[in-house]
Amino acid sequence: MTSLAPNVIEAAAEKQKPALSIRNYSLAYNTLNGPVSALKNIDLTIGKGQTVGLVGESGSGKSSMAWSIMRYLPPNALETGGAIRLAGEELLDYTPRQMADIRGRRMSMVFQDPSTSLNPTIRLGEQIAEVLMRHQGLTAAQAWVEAEAALARTGITRPKEMLRRFPHEASGGEKQRVVIATAFACEPELIIFDEPTTALDILTARQILDLFNRLREETNVSALYISHDLGLVSRVVDEVSVIHRGAIVESGSVAQVFRRPTDAYTRHLIGAVPNPDRWIGVERPSHPESLIRLEKIGVRYNSPSLFQKLFKPAAAEKSTFWGARDVSLDIRKGELLGVVGESGSGKSTIAKVLAGLEDFEGNLDVGGKALTSRKEIDRAYRRNVQIVFQHPDASLNPRQKIGTIIGRPLKLYGIVPRDKITARVAELLEMVRLPADYANRHPHQLSGGEKQRVAIARAFAAEPSLVICDEVTAALDVSVQAAVADLLVKLQKDTGTACVFITHDLNLIRQLAHRIAVMQHGRLVDFFDRDDARADDRHPYTKALLDAVPVQEAVEAQN
Amino acid sequence: MSWGYFIRRLFAVVLVLAIVTFAVFAITTVLPGNAAIMILGEYATPEAVAALERQLRLDQPWHVQYLTWISGIARGDFGMSLRLSLPVTQVVGEAFVNSAVLAATALVTVTVIAIPLGALAAIKRGTAIDLALGLFSYLGTSLPEFVTATLLLVFLAAPNTGPFPAGGYVAPWESLAGFGAHVALPAATLGLILMAHIARQVRSEMSEVLSSDYIRAARLKGLSERRVIRRHALPNSMAPAVAVISLDIGYLLGGIIVVEEIFAWPGLGRLLIYALENRDLPVIQAVTLLLATVYALSNLLSDIVIALLDPRVRYA
Repeated sequence: MTSLAPNVIEAAAEKQKPALSIRNYSLAYNTLNGPVSALKNIDLTIGKGQTVGLVGESGSGKSSMAWSIMRYLPPNALETGGAIRLAGEELLDYTPRQMADIRGRRMSMVFQDPSTSLNPTIRLGEQIAEVLMRHQGLTAAQAWVEAEAALARTGITRPKEMLRRFPHEASGGEKQRVVIATAFACEPELIIFDEPTTALDILTARQILDLFNRLREETNVSALYISHDLGLVSRVVDEVSVIHRGAIVESGSVAQVFRRPTDAYTRHLIGAVPNPDRWIGVERPSHPESLIRLEKIGVRYNSPSLFQKLFKPAAAEKSTFWGARDVSLDIRKGELLGVVGESGSGKSTIAKVLAGLEDFEGNLDVGGKALTSRKEIDRAYRRNVQIVFQHPDASLNPRQKIGTIIGRPLKLYGIVPRDKITARVAELLEMVRLPADYANRHPHQLSGGEKQRVAIARAFAAEPSLVICDEVTAALDVSVQAAVADLLVKLQKDTGTACVFITHDLNLIRQLAHRIAVMQHGRLVDFFDRDDARADDRHPYTKALLDAVPVQEAVEAQN
Repeated sequence: MSWGYFIRRLFAVVLVLAIVTFAVFAITTVLPGNAAIMILGEYATPEAVAALERQLRLDQPWHVQYLTWISGIARGDFGMSLRLSLPVTQVVGEAFVNSAVLAATALVTVTVIAIPLGALAAIKRGTAIDLALGLFSYLGTSLPEFVTATLLLVFLAAPNTGPFPAGGYVAPWESLAGFGAHVALPAATLGLILMAHIARQVRSEMSEVLSSDYIRAARLKGLSERRVIRRHALPNSMAPAVAVISLDIGYLLGGIIVVEEIFAWPGLGRLLIYALENRDLPVIQAVTLLLATVYALSNLLSDIVIALLDPRVRYA
């Protein structure tokens, strides 16, 4: 009996071997300042057919984890122990050649941005077919037939036609379906999804998630789902691990982690998920008073050239693209107006018109005076309307010190006497909750959230009556995002400035805005009071957007 | 490729050439200073000047002169050379063929060597190979062609002992070996600079492509390194290289003037210098126009090749 037991146990273990098991794995990167730890003693198990979520903010090590599993590490990576086993086989022992055989066949990956992860000069069909040719020894003709079938499974209506296209001829959602079809093509045991919906619109992201859930059921594949978005992860995974500074701080079933988080960081993360039912904005202005009114604002891109007008008037009219068309809305003093829409809906175009950065048609009514073109926008208007952009890295001059950046509008508009500028910069830094000595730093010495605060401080330095926030939280982590939103509300309270907040995040905007404008294809399709968000007469597009937002679990957990 | 794109490009080329004919004509004919006096010298008799003016049709208004000239060109008639007593078409035609043979030899050799070298440097980035190629590139770009030419002459074409002739020309259809010997040094002189230029361009482009997301994705599909490089990376690094090569043709047209003079190569460059020294206006006009045409057409060709390499360009 004793001699039999090990065999029996082994056989049982063979059956139960998890698709992926990571034990006590550590990783560091060699840098000029010595090794920097990226992953610390990671333990993670994905059972057969199971989906595990790995949730963390930027820099938490979640992407390093993916590269470690795929054995695709940069030369300066330093593995300091542990094991990564695919169906019981130790991947760390495999040679690069053996790994190349495994990649794409037994485990594959879906990437964040389909527009950069597909080769722009190769037809989509070939990009799917080449995996089948590599791993299943098919001929090109057979592989294309298989590719068509694989693409059809992702729900693309005319897969054959899609195969002939180049990446730039497909939409973001279609491209991500191609990437997913490629990942599923060889029926792998494990697929790593690295933020597969982050680069997509809300509605497309929703479809991709549904597709993921369907394919998972059909194929019984095991998956690691990497994301920064707790609410989203809760919809697709069975178990979740929270990673923070290279270590897994909490693991368990979705319900357990969300309802009874034991770790302080997890609690912080859950608390930071915007909850549309929890109002954090400023009080609604008591009597509405119009600040700026947009009347039938239109912006054309790609205006026909003289050549086209002369020779091809019909084609010329077609090539005109309206970034915004017939947009009429008013901004009230002291309010926060939310503008929501997907990428390309025209919301940033409206921001640029308001900031005087874009030529427009129609009227801009400011205090009873109608501006009919960008040229009529004067210095006083520019001082009064300030804008904060999405990427602080791009909007802060990397060569200037923070003090110079914030001091610039003070000097430009003569807001304080020259000898008081330093003191005022310190005050502004304090207003955005940054230490006053940051004035002597350069932007690269600050974190993303801190940089965005500087950009906000610069906007408020001009003492404007309207600040436009164009996706200011989109590039930030959830917890930083919440802090920036809080800060904006505080500044609004202190200064009474009106704010146009442009975002694709409906949960966040419903926490902040008094009124919400919804844009689609350059037009304003819906405009309503926050309280009426769920009213029956909402535009179908608004309803679709509201329904597409994944949030339930996280919000339930907060309540 | 869409025809619209091609037609737009072709339209641009025609427009450029029309402007060029005008500029060439203006510089040589309309600008102040009487061409006849410039040719005959300050002490020419008024009768001789008047006779030459009639011959050159300088006595007619400028637009008539231009139309006469341009309609001649349209018929392939560039007039008579003032010094060689031969039709310009014949003089320039022979020189053009000789130059084209030299330029093409240089360009093809360079392209065939430089593109793989640049790609290799990018693949082996940071290694000794990359470093050596980088050093060679710097040397190549920083030495002007008259220095390279002199060095090559001193070391490889010393009288009686050097393996190559110091100058002259043998047509490839007369003797391939003779042509090879004569073309080697001038082509190498022209080639060194181009080689360095193109290899560096390919290297930087290839490095960028190799660090792109889609190359990472290709590797994570398990594709062989060979396929990743040849199918995914190289074609995408080629489009900018083609653009550089077509710009380099502009350089080549200038460089050829110096190199032909040094190596006594009977091409357009030597002819142009001769015509300038002797104020042979019809020849100067024809050569300038020809150089401009070659440059414009090579740009058109490169636009087409780039469009074939990169589908995104075709619809732009």
